[in-house]
Amino acid sequence: MKNLNSLLAGIFLAVAFPFGVLVISSQVQLGSLGPAPAEEGGPLFPSREPGLAIQGRAVYVSLGCVSCHTQQVRPAGQGSDIARGYGVRPSVARDYVQQKPVLLGERRIGPDLANYGARAKGLDGVHAAIKHDGQFTFLYAGEKGHEVPTERAIALAAYLQSLRQDYSSPEAKLKQ
Amino acid sequence: MTQENRSGRPQGRPPEGDSRLTRTESQLRGPFLLFFISSVIWLLAASVLGVIAALQQGSLAGGPFRDCEILTYGHVAAAQHNLFVYGWGFNAFFALNLWLLSQLGRFELRNGWLATLGGVFWNLALTYGVVLIFAGNQTGFALLEFPREVGPVLAVAFLLAGFWPIVAFARRPTGHTFASQWFVVAASFAFPLTYLLAQLLILWQPASGVVQAIAHSWFVSNLLHLWFGASALAAVYYFLPKVLGRTISGYYLAPVAFWSFVLFAGWTGPSALIGAPVPLWLQSVGVVACAMLIIPVIITAINFHGTLSSEGGWSRAWNDTTLRFVSFGAVAFTLFGVLNTVFGFRGYNSVVRFTSFAAGQEQLLTYAFASMVLFGATYFVLPRLTGSRWPSAKLVHVHFWATALGAIATIIALLVGGWENGKQLADASVSFQQVAKAGSTWNAVLSVSAVLLLVGHVAFALNAFGMILKSSAPASAGRHD
Repeated sequence: MKNLNSLLAGIFLAVAFPFGVLVISSQVQLGSLGPAPAEEGGPLFPSREPGLAIQGRAVYVSLGCVSCHTQQVRPAGQGSDIARGYGVRPSVARDYVQQKPVLLGERRIGPDLANYGARAKGLDGVHAAIKHDGQFTFLYAGEKGHEVPTERAIALAAYLQSLRQDYSSPEAKLKQ
Repeated sequence: MTQENRSGRPQGRPPEGDSRLTRTESQLRGPFLLFFISSVIWLLAASVLGVIAALQQGSLAGGPFRDCEILTYGHVAAAQHNLFVYGWGFNAFFALNLWLLSQLGRFELRNGWLATLGGVFWNLALTYGVVLIFAGNQTGFALLEFPREVGPVLAVAFLLAGFWPIVAFARRPTGHTFASQWFVVAASFAFPLTYLLAQLLILWQPASGVVQAIAHSWFVSNLLHLWFGASALAAVYYFLPKVLGRTISGYYLAPVAFWSFVLFAGWTGPSALIGAPVPLWLQSVGVVACAMLIIPVIITAINFHGTLSSEGGWSRAWNDTTLRFVSFGAVAFTLFGVLNTVFGFRGYNSVVRFTSFAAGQEQLLTYAFASMVLFGATYFVLPRLTGSRWPSAKLVHVHFWATALGAIATIIALLVGGWENGKQLADASVSFQQVAKAGSTWNAVLSVSAVLLLVGHVAFALNAFGMILKSSAPASAGRHD
């Protein structure tokens, strides 16, 4: 304790060792994940994101939507995510390999959006949800009742529709 | 120095200081005041944003700032969080850690302009980052929301402003060291490492997929434990024996508390990812680390509450402004540690997951513990450095009661509200709208307590700024009392 070097070495280890084990080894374990078919010869999932959805994610990030919405479905037995209809199966690491940044979220002031694209009711329904009862009408132009979505709203809607975890993945197969 | 130091054994009691402003103190007066004044300004800004965020969140369907893009909850909450942590928490601990270590090691800050420069950089980068958050340029990772170009500036500024305690430790004239010194050195060294690694893997060279979230959870737990936790523990270890004039009970256990805290804190991150699409072994490591963290919590409880319990310590603490705040913080830390352990376990965690509960735990650490200790420390340090008295005793009372009640109400609302919320969410037959409606009472409590905190902080700022302005006497001639 009197020696600065051993004190600093201890603190360095206390920072670096967890970093190595938690972060680096999960990078080793998960870093090479990519889209994969659930069964031999099947389609690859998660599929490539449409360009508009990528723009929409930038809108999602810039408005700070992540402070109220999560994008992760917990396995049955931990909470009621699947029973609540947030997803048909638990989320797995592979679902996120194409997302930059990954927006898992920590707080559900609003509902989970991991599988929103699969349960959304048409484009009008998505836009109605984006407006949040008048909280986010700045994303729309025109008079009340005849609002026209701006470019940002169109991109955001495309992003929300692209959020799907309703396919079979090697780690989480859908029950037939 | 006193005989204790010559004996070379730690006695659980910091060396007595002179009541006159020493050369050490007059040298760090400039940087200290810069850090302190900026921290209070940021605290006020964060409290105003806190009120706005509470109102916005409490009324999704029509807050007072309905349809205002700049003030959407996502902007206000992120700005508030960052200003509170990097503006208030960091500036205030820069000031306090520098003062603590120069006191304990009789350190003379010769190149104070470097610290000042660091402080200027830090605050400019912070301003820039917050303006960009409101302009809609943020990253989506809590406490790393600033656009990535802000990161390196903050890191360099930290090295200039926050690295002095390590220099002070290296140059101390005596072989004897004290618990506060270890904790401050840990905080000053662990943060820049953590920050740089997290910046790199999350913003500059993003790791693939959910590894970003894993790195982020590691960063947040290190920031909260090793900066806020360790810095505030250092202050409690200093002020309790200093003001009470007695040694820490069970001080021989303090090294165990230090090492167990530093060694386990870094592993607790993944407990924030229980149920997330990350490897199960990782989640288990987080749970175990949270359980192990009870060791330093128990030891600090023995150290702090043991010291306060003997010879009427509690009543003396209550009658001393500094100790009233500091012992409030010490109790909050114990509570935080117990909750952290209990709600690390999967069963409880899955109930409160995604509710306000985690925010409540964070408030318990960063506000009820760290901020209250900082307030208490200010009541001790500022009169010494400015050489004048606190202008108004009434404002001190307003400050204590508003912040104490505000903190208790906020934390109860977040914790109990989060628990209730989680219980309802676990039942899939209750709709999300019904759950939100049931939480509206707690949201009202949060709004009221945000106002209460703002009132307390305004009282504190008025008092502190009044005192700094009043002290026109040259620094070297200043006296305590």
